[in-house]
Amino acid sequence: MKKDIDTLKKRSRRRRDVVEQAGSASLALSGLVGMFFLVVLVWQIAIPTFIDGENGEISAASEFIPISDYVLEWDHPNVNEQGDLKTEPIVLTIKWEGQTGAQTHDLEIVVTANRGEKEDVQISEEGLSTTSIEVGKKTKFYLKSVLDVPVSVEQRSGPVPAADASGNPHVSSFVVSGDVAVLISNGSAVFEPLEMAGWTSLLVLTFIVSRPTERRLAPLVHCYGRERQIRGIILLLAIFTIVIGQTTLSAFLGGLCWLLFGVALLRTIEGMERLQNQGRSLTEVKRLKHSISDREGLLLWSRMLLVSACFFIPLDIDIPFLTERYQDIFQPYASGIRSAFFGTVWVMSIAMLVSMPISIGAAIYLEEYAAPTRTTKLIQALVTNLAGVPSIVFGMFGLAIFVKQGGIGLGLGPSILAAGLTMGVMAMPIIVLASQEALRSVPRSLRESAYGVGCTQWQVVKDHVLPSAMPGIMTGSILAMSRIMGEAAPLVVVGAAALVLFDPEPLAALTGGNLNFTVIPIQIYFWTSEPEHAWHSMAAAASIALILLLIAMNSIAIVLRQHFRKRLNS
Amino acid sequence: MKKSLKPVAQKRAPADRVRLLLFITSLSVIFITLGIIQTLLFEAITFFREIAGVRGWFSFEFDPKGVMSQTGLGAFLFMLALMMEWISEHRRHYLAIISEQILFPPSWALRSIYALLIIAVVVVNSMLLWASTVALVAVWRRVAKKHMLRGTGNIDQTDRSVTIALGCCLFFSLFIATTEHYGGAFGEFFFQNQWTPAGACADRRSLCENMNFGVNSLLLTTLQVAFGALFFAVPLGVGCAIYLSEYASPRLVSVVKPTLELLAGIPSVVYGFFAFIYIGPLVVELGEVAYTNGWIDQPPNILNPINGAIVVGVMILPLVASMSEDALRAVPNELREGSLALGATRIETTLRVMLQAALSGILASIILALSRAVGETMAVTLAVGTVAVYTSNMFLPAQTMTAYIAQRVGGDLPFGEIGYLTIFAVGLYLFIITLSLNLLGNKVLSAYREAY
Repeated sequence: MKKDIDTLKKRSRRRRDVVEQAGSASLALSGLVGMFFLVVLVWQIAIPTFIDGENGEISAASEFIPISDYVLEWDHPNVNEQGDLKTEPIVLTIKWEGQTGAQTHDLEIVVTANRGEKEDVQISEEGLSTTSIEVGKKTKFYLKSVLDVPVSVEQRSGPVPAADASGNPHVSSFVVSGDVAVLISNGSAVFEPLEMAGWTSLLVLTFIVSRPTERRLAPLVHCYGRERQIRGIILLLAIFTIVIGQTTLSAFLGGLCWLLFGVALLRTIEGMERLQNQGRSLTEVKRLKHSISDREGLLLWSRMLLVSACFFIPLDIDIPFLTERYQDIFQPYASGIRSAFFGTVWVMSIAMLVSMPISIGAAIYLEEYAAPTRTTKLIQALVTNLAGVPSIVFGMFGLAIFVKQGGIGLGLGPSILAAGLTMGVMAMPIIVLASQEALRSVPRSLRESAYGVGCTQWQVVKDHVLPSAMPGIMTGSILAMSRIMGEAAPLVVVGAAALVLFDPEPLAALTGGNLNFTVIPIQIYFWTSEPEHAWHSMAAAASIALILLLIAMNSIAIVLRQHFRKRLNS
Repeated sequence: MKKSLKPVAQKRAPADRVRLLLFITSLSVIFITLGIIQTLLFEAITFFREIAGVRGWFSFEFDPKGVMSQTGLGAFLFMLALMMEWISEHRRHYLAIISEQILFPPSWALRSIYALLIIAVVVVNSMLLWASTVALVAVWRRVAKKHMLRGTGNIDQTDRSVTIALGCCLFFSLFIATTEHYGGAFGEFFFQNQWTPAGACADRRSLCENMNFGVNSLLLTTLQVAFGALFFAVPLGVGCAIYLSEYASPRLVSVVKPTLELLAGIPSVVYGFFAFIYIGPLVVELGEVAYTNGWIDQPPNILNPINGAIVVGVMILPLVASMSEDALRAVPNELREGSLALGATRIETTLRVMLQAALSGILASIILALSRAVGETMAVTLAVGTVAVYTSNMFLPAQTMTAYIAQRVGGDLPFGEIGYLTIFAVGLYLFIITLSLNLLGNKVLSAYREAY
């Protein structure tokens, strides 16, 4: 019988189609699985902070240790004077694999205000000696087991051992509620009136300039010709705001608001005058915007300032975990990362101060000046390969050059200055590469037209190439900054400390103060290495704080990039 | 009239000063590189000199019987590959003798050979034997390609790098096969497998008998973790890249790409924490199953190389994904359209045209990711453990090179002590490995960029 070729082909083609569909679906799926995995990871990191209960295991008793025990202690009572429960009851679930099968028992604990009152619980084959005990606050009591199998202890409900008087664990107050006060807290206003006034004026001005109408702009017409007075008044207001607010962060931001308000106001008035002299309408939005936010992006800066200052001026958010509490070696849940936070801020500032001018200069030289000689090629290759050198090698470089004395060592000791310099060296190749990319993307016509009107090379670079490459350079620098902010390895080598109970001094290496410092990633590393579960919760909280800081910085970079890209295109 | 045409006296002096200043800033890159190399080299040489003062520089015993071992077989295969390569370069007319069927076997045979090679990684005991087999197959395919291209003028006449690399491999494997009992500073460091730098002696400064500096135990764990990470990251990352560049809508890409950038920015210590808390216990459960079934002979530990491999894989996943996606996007659209116009389906176009065209770009991304995985520190310190013993059982704690450095400097180290010097020797080795991987990756990448 002759085979019907057409049918055969059709059938095999159909089979092939099915196989290919499956193949493409699986490809897409593996990609999705990759992304899903990463998202799950971030979520998983966040979870441990919500596990606040006591978890543990009583090890098995043996002939050498006939009774193994587990210590518990609550800081605050969970009943009032009448003996009524103030919070959820504290219930521990105690489980083990006995000879007669798995056993599960509940133990209810009542914490009273009588310090010193205690009662131990015996665990044996028959079960618990009691199902409910009363103990005093801040009093250690024991769960004692004579079983030859490990017993697991898990808190099912109620406040955790290190909870505060209201029954909330401290770590949750960082993650969940936070001390947010909107305008009025405890019956008094939380803002200085001057700061608030500065913020509001900037808000109003930004709104007017973004959506100008004849009526909204009318009040500003009265300001024509009074620029000097306005400048003086606003400078005075800014200084007053900072002085009255005793140079706190919010006062500083308030002063900044005033200054930016002044600059934007003067620019707006100038632009309006110019427009009216040209006989145009005030409502030509694009022209007005252009005249006030010509190259500096005043509008963008004022919006960013408004957003970042709103957390400190009108809302007055206070995160004690980040900015108030030091590490508490006895109470994990009462710890904070204040010293690590300020250490990070100082290390980053020093690193950026050192590395940004040098690396941007190097990028300009490589892109604009250098002829393609052997030296240039060597430098280019070195930059590319330095960016891939493991961070711990940079740490060893810092250890030998900046930390140790003798040889070519500067002998700064394990200090913030040495750490900042090390991190600056690490950030350098990244910033050079990003800046080169930005300089390369500046169109050639811009350079040529500038040369065409007779500019020198430096004038071309300074006045035309750099300003239009600046957003790219800024983005690259911020990304480099966020990368070195999360690095712990070089600082482990340089010698960051595990326990710092004071604010770090940035110039201690030169002035002879206390050298010790720590940064957030190092704090996470040491807390993860601790055996107790509570410290792991704190490590998770610190991780979240670090990731949030990084996300904030990266989003600034992304916003900057989008804004300037839009402007270049229009 | 003539006067006005003369150029005005140029005020170039400030511009030149700027140029000089900028040149000096760019020289700082050279200073940094020299500084790194000088630091590492100086301390590492001191380290080797201290050991050599007691145990000599290098010693080994010659044993020609070793040629009959697996390593000897590997050397033989390398020699075969070298001969094939040499003949194909210099005596090209001999190639005509080889029948076409050997050079161009049916595709199913080729595919099964490739699959066997991949499976053999797990089965073969000697890594060298496996590497030599891979080299042999690679040279075979290279010769076939040359044979196919003969007379078209497309053959690169002066490509000696393959010959040189094969020669080096042959020399190295012959040396390994015919010698044993390495000693002295270099022999101990590069060939021995025991790493106990903190021997128990009265005087901490001096070198004592029970100190051993065989860095291989650290290096092998590092490679375990790094290749394990690639095992997880490459399929997921390349799949992700293919999906993003070929299937996903632009709108989805504009959301996913910044997300990938953000994930690439998560600090490694956070990944380490995640491995310590979550992946560790999961791997232990897996290990318990293996232990009860008798596949491994010791119970698993919560800190182990698999744990590290998974978490480092997740860390390098965004790198692989975004670089491979860039490589796929750089392929000219005509290739894709031509393939589709010939009637190929989307998956055929993706797998047989786009992947082939972007292969060297993807390879570069894999090499750079490998270098990143080798140099990764905090995550592996928290995930892999601190026991500097190499085991082929990947459920037991071990220690990588970077983790050793981080753990060693964690304690207070006096300047100039032998423990202080070891970190620089290990660091130099690490630096050389990552630098050569980076050089290779960047070379492949620039070659790829030139091609398109």
